Amino acid sequence: MRGPDGRQEETNGIAIEIRDLWKKFRLYHNKAYSLKERVLFWRQTAVEDFWALKGVNLSIPRGSTVGLVGRNGSGKSTLLKIISRILYPTKGEVRVHGRVSTLLELGAGFHPDFTGRENIFLNASILGLTRREIKERLGDIIAFSELSDFIDNPVRNYSSGMYMRLGFAVAVHVDPEILLVDEVLAVGDLAFQEKCLAKIRELQRRGTTIVFVTHSPEQVQDLCDTAVWLDQGEIRMTGNAKEVAEAYKEFMEATVR
Amino acid sequence: MLERLREIWMYRDMLRSLVSKELRARYKGSILGFFWTFFNPLLMLIIYSLVFSFIMRSAVEKYPMFLFVALLPWNYFASSLVQGAGSLVHNASLIKKVYFPREVLPLSVVLANLVNYLLSLFILVPALLLFRICLTIALLAFPFVLLTETLLIVALVLIVSVADVYFRDLEHITGVFVTAWFFLTPVIYSVDVMPPKIRWVFFLNPMAHIIESYRKIFYYGVWPDWASLGYVFLGCLGFCLLSFVLFERMQRAVAEEV
Repeated sequence: MRGPDGRQEETNGIAIEIRDLWKKFRLYHNKAYSLKERVLFWRQTAVEDFWALKGVNLSIPRGSTVGLVGRNGSGKSTLLKIISRILYPTKGEVRVHGRVSTLLELGAGFHPDFTGRENIFLNASILGLTRREIKERLGDIIAFSELSDFIDNPVRNYSSGMYMRLGFAVAVHVDPEILLVDEVLAVGDLAFQEKCLAKIRELQRRGTTIVFVTHSPEQVQDLCDTAVWLDQGEIRMTGNAKEVAEAYKEFMEATVR
Repeated sequence: MLERLREIWMYRDMLRSLVSKELRARYKGSILGFFWTFFNPLLMLIIYSLVFSFIMRSAVEKYPMFLFVALLPWNYFASSLVQGAGSLVHNASLIKKVYFPREVLPLSVVLANLVNYLLSLFILVPALLLFRICLTIALLAFPFVLLTETLLIVALVLIVSVADVYFRDLEHITGVFVTAWFFLTPVIYSVDVMPPKIRWVFFLNPMAHIIESYRKIFYYGVWPDWASLGYVFLGCLGFCLLSFVLFERMQRAVAEEV
């Protein structure tokens, strides 16, 4: 389904290819996890199928930035998680060409008792960097996080903003060919947010393919080339970022009224 | 299968970070810190020596060492299994948010316990010499016995950890199961004292052959029974490969179920 090393495959300039993708979740209305519950509520667990994605087709050219918009529960995050291989598709096919990094959560696997420096190694290795790659980037990561004074303190003494900054600094230095971002751009103070956006723009210039999920039509217009509007698991509109963002904005305003 | 193993190999630095996290985090904040890795077996040895020299005198010669050479590898087995059972469930937040080969989590538990076991040998070997037990050339068989045991542990931990996601009681069952297994394995006693009628249990239990081999190497200073150890090794190897296949199948829905 996916090549072990996408870079060697013939890709025709396509970074992500999604064909007829379906994803079903089973919603348990009181799932019996334990034996006791299973015996007591035998055959009582109501299972309901929920289709989070219904036949999505999408191909994302290399080097482009795509915004995924849609209301809560429209399937944006599910789509992102399938592309990043956290979830498996129920039906359909996803081909990804290149090294993927996913920004779903900042500071994944941080250990509170470890220092900032130790956590950089831990977090970056979870994101798939080798030890040597981390060493090469250590200086840049610390500088980007603006935490050089605290880098040898345990992160349990960090404020939540500092924690996020360190997480973001590691994540953007993974240097992926494909970056998947899920609403994590609102980190830290305004100055730091500006810095994050600048970093995203730098990645764009270097040819990184970026897919990001957002609620904000402005961000889509600002950062994206194209946009995809998901509605109840189906693509409602796709195309030029500005057009999609405007249509989505109009739709949202109409719903609010 | 090969592709999967290669991918796990690509994440070896994550495995390394997790193992070192596990080893260092365990004693973080304690005054003696990492030295606890050595103090634990040392104190255990002192207690057993006192108990079995003065209180419960055993017919077996140098019983504390007889027990100790078997108990250390048993603890490697038991703690890997008990800690490994919940390794996926306890890391749910990581699994839901980041992609990595999920095998890395249970494997890191096994490797951390392996390192612990190897470090405890620094206590075992001087203790053996102190008890005037000669170390012989048979020690060369040690890596092979250790490999066999590790294959078995990896297989069991992979299966139990992924099954635990779908059936949470497994984590608690594992503890009881391991205790029962402990008494079915000749750790505190020798195979000879088993009633002949139930000795067949011994032959079906791979851990029995493994523990017996450790004891032969360290305590008796003779080569292990190569024929039976060879069969156990092949069995464990096959079981281990099977467990990787099984794990790969069952891990697909893990992010939804944890």
